[in-house]
Amino acid sequence: MEGVDRIRAAEAPERRFAWGLLGPGLLVLAGTTTLPIFYLLWQSTQNINLALPGMDRFIGAGNYVRLWEDSRFWDALQLTFVYTGCTVVMQLVLGLGMALLILKLPRAQGPLRVMAILPIVLAPVVVGMIWRTLMLTQDYGIVDLLFRKLGLGSHNWLGDPKLAVLSVIGIHTWQWTPFVFLYLLAALSTIPDDMYEAARIDRANAWRRFTRITLPMIRPAIVMVIIIRMTVALSAFAAIYAATGGGPGTATEILNLFAYRVSFAELDLGYGAAAAVVLLVLTLVVSAGLFAMRRGR
Amino acid sequence: MNDKRDQRRKLLKAAVLGAGTLGAPWVARYAYAQAMDLGPYQQAKINWRQAEGTAVNVAVIAASYFQNLIDITPEFEALTGCKVNYEKVPPGQIRQKVVLDLSSKTGNISTHAGDPMYVPLYAANKWCDVLDDYLKDPKLTDAAWFDFQDLVPAWREADAIDKKTYALPYQGEMTIQIYRKDLYDAKGLKPAETFDDIVKNAKALHDPDKRMYGFCLRGMAGAGQNMYIYPSIMRAYGGKWFDANNKIRVNGPEAVAALDWYVTNHNMFAPKAAQNWNWPDIADAFSEGTIACYIDGHSGVAVIANPQKSKVVGKIGYARWPKGPSGKRCTSIWNWAMPINAAMPQKSRVATWLWLQWACSKETQARTSYKFTGGAKRFDVNRMSLWNSPEYRKTIGDAGHNFLEASLESLTQDTDIDWRPRVPQWPAIGETMGKLVQAALVGQMKPKQALDEAQKQIERILA
Amino acid sequence: MSRKSLRSWALVAGAFLVLAVWTVPLAWTLLTSFKSDRDVLAYPPVIFFEPTLANYKEVLFGPTNVLGNLVTSVIIAVVTTLLTMIIAVPASYAFARLKVHGKKPLGFYVLATQFVPPIGLIIPYFLILNQARGLDTYWGMVLIYLTFSLPFAIWLMISYFEDIPREMEEAALLDRATRLQAFLRVVLPQARGAIAVTVTFVFLNAWNEFLFAVVIAGAKVKPVTVAMFNYISVEQTRWGQLTAAALIAMIPVIVLGIIAQKDIAKGLSLGAVKGVSRR
Repeated sequence: MEGVDRIRAAEAPERRFAWGLLGPGLLVLAGTTTLPIFYLLWQSTQNINLALPGMDRFIGAGNYVRLWEDSRFWDALQLTFVYTGCTVVMQLVLGLGMALLILKLPRAQGPLRVMAILPIVLAPVVVGMIWRTLMLTQDYGIVDLLFRKLGLGSHNWLGDPKLAVLSVIGIHTWQWTPFVFLYLLAALSTIPDDMYEAARIDRANAWRRFTRITLPMIRPAIVMVIIIRMTVALSAFAAIYAATGGGPGTATEILNLFAYRVSFAELDLGYGAAAAVVLLVLTLVVSAGLFAMRRGR
Repeated sequence: MNDKRDQRRKLLKAAVLGAGTLGAPWVARYAYAQAMDLGPYQQAKINWRQAEGTAVNVAVIAASYFQNLIDITPEFEALTGCKVNYEKVPPGQIRQKVVLDLSSKTGNISTHAGDPMYVPLYAANKWCDVLDDYLKDPKLTDAAWFDFQDLVPAWREADAIDKKTYALPYQGEMTIQIYRKDLYDAKGLKPAETFDDIVKNAKALHDPDKRMYGFCLRGMAGAGQNMYIYPSIMRAYGGKWFDANNKIRVNGPEAVAALDWYVTNHNMFAPKAAQNWNWPDIADAFSEGTIACYIDGHSGVAVIANPQKSKVVGKIGYARWPKGPSGKRCTSIWNWAMPINAAMPQKSRVATWLWLQWACSKETQARTSYKFTGGAKRFDVNRMSLWNSPEYRKTIGDAGHNFLEASLESLTQDTDIDWRPRVPQWPAIGETMGKLVQAALVGQMKPKQALDEAQKQIERILA
Repeated sequence: MSRKSLRSWALVAGAFLVLAVWTVPLAWTLLTSFKSDRDVLAYPPVIFFEPTLANYKEVLFGPTNVLGNLVTSVIIAVVTTLLTMIIAVPASYAFARLKVHGKKPLGFYVLATQFVPPIGLIIPYFLILNQARGLDTYWGMVLIYLTFSLPFAIWLMISYFEDIPREMEEAALLDRATRLQAFLRVVLPQARGAIAVTVTFVFLNAWNEFLFAVVIAGAKVKPVTVAMFNYISVEQTRWGQLTAAALIAMIPVIVLGIIAQKDIAKGLSLGAVKGVSRR
């Protein structure tokens, strides 16, 4: 009995201490993010179109019904999945490959780590601009030039609807693969060498060593990096906006861009808010699932 | 060792010298402000100092013609005792920023470089003052001195709705044909008089293997991108935006034919990449000498006739839009339209009006163009009297063959107030049309199909 | 040459090939920043040209220089980072270590706030800041940036704190240190790497933000991400100056990255093995 009392006595100050630490953060978050979310939710139930003054009114789920019936919304949603899926997978494959390669070259790691930061640091809008004009313009763009030199032909990188999707995926992958590389390189370097030695004595080949040792060891890191990259890809904006503006037509209009264009180019604020809420819910569901996976095993 | 130190000293010296010359523009500007001559303004029979001490916040975009204005603004401040704060907003974001400001009635932005196609929106929401009240008030405006009628008529009209003026044009633009005179002359070609001529000329010069493209237009989607060009073609085909019941209709037979012409010839003669191009991209390509002819804003001349940037200086010719199948020529009526934010207190509105009157006055237009001591020229002043004045004509004369004539003919004969549908919903209509016109251009849809879809979507917007 | 060294040479070659592909856009950006207007879009693209420093001169000292905007950006990013860390580090420690009622839902709440699409927040932020006279002010910008840096930092730090072994902390407590003392003197020094990582990315995110900056910033407080857009005028894109400004704007983050490089490497690996150590 005495022991329990002592624990209780110790718990009270700990709880106070904990709230002292948590309090400021939670307060700031409540004020800066939660209030606006309520505003956003409210806005999504209203008919607010700046081009139709005097028509503002509560329409409940009206904007959501409109989304449901809007083929452009479904296209954007589908594209969001394609864009997010492709960019994350490509970043992961390339980043992991590069990290495995560099892991064997300890002396190159220092300078490479610094170099890997460079694409991440370049302002995203500038990234979009540079790729759009200097890299991808058919004719004098560097990428097009290289393709022609390699005998792969000249292509309309941003004008052709399908290629434009590939291009914006490529641009995002280019900018953010280094992050995955850095992250996974750090994870790989924590795997003790003796584990590989043991495997080598067992005559396991390189592929088996990779699947049996490396992958399981860095699994948590991989899940974490997928979560981080996924949330960023879902709300990607600046680079696509600068490179294609969502075009040609609506070929590269992901949900985030859809919400932006509806709100700020078409001034249909209620409808745009509904699209933003859908994007929020989508992101929450996807990442909650991933977090469950992380804790899973 | 000594060598190295010597080198370093040289470098240092160079750096100091460099910094010295860099400082020079400031010195020059300061001296200019010292010698300011307010006489021409003081001839106006109004009290310039009636809003003394008030601040005017002006949102502009980065452009040389606004920079010239900013440079001489100390004169306005000396004249009125008002303080002017300029904010340069990226052109892609200025509409968004201004609409946010106007719709929430903050009164933060006194006036801004506005899109004339937003004037109906401003009027419908009563976000901006009707300027006729200011123009008619002798306390605020010396009508004879300001001479409102002298402003380019097409731009004035573009900034008005239902005969009420909501903004003044500081600067404006029209679309014209821009072509390679050297190439045309070599083949005995003449600038196109009809749409068929365009095709004929383009065919004669089109040679993609030699990096020469016959003809180019904007391809990028947007109310201010491809919807800056397609409406001219549509109108030249005799198309209209509204039907007999005054309902918007974008998929009439003329419109379909116009879009078909645009798509066919763009695909035939323009670089493929131009499907995603906006005006600077085309101007750059033309400067590189890879395009024989394009139709776009006349202010592109700042790039293509600039020896530091362009490889075709001295080889450029200009002409009006060719006639469409209906016999009509239709140019753009773009200008930077400057309104007065209605959400401000009275004194700020007066100060803003004084600024507007100053900026759009003949004297300031002259001081930012041919009288300007800095480098950048203006090809886009807002007054007919200036367009007809020898001094102004002299400064823009070297832009290339027929530039002045083509510009003036467009300005006086080819403008059309119904070029684009002037309704408050234009932003959404323009975006929707832009997207679908581009979808037709890149082959996602047939022209008819694209316009039918546009009609469907626009009807939903207006519902 | 033995087979092994041959293979490692092949590896080096492969690594450099990938690296080359990755550096081309950056290298081209760098080259462009030294080009005159005429050379920027020349065909075929020129690698050898008469380099000019004019773009850098203009960007740093010319009439349209962005020096002041760089200073603004530094102030905003530094203050944002400091405030974020001051609030986030204790909060994440509490989440990771202390007994709090409703910790799980609260943690999820923090996480959720990170996922709000920025597009949806532009209008509410504008309205709120306008009411509070926070448009075009430093504190307004910092406040907005806190909204996305805080949840990010808290979550990153939680996973790190979870991995720091409890033993030393418990030893300190047995030595009659208070919890606060144990936190400050024992836990924090161990979290050095984690803090370095978090600081770097919080700083980076604040530094490169554009969407809110365009709306919230004005003539007085304008970060460099927005200011460099003035090189894209309606008349032409000044590629040389835009690239020069963009490259200069990279320097502060790169410097921070280099300073913190060792700690970052440590910090990243710390976070990455999380889970491994626990099982």
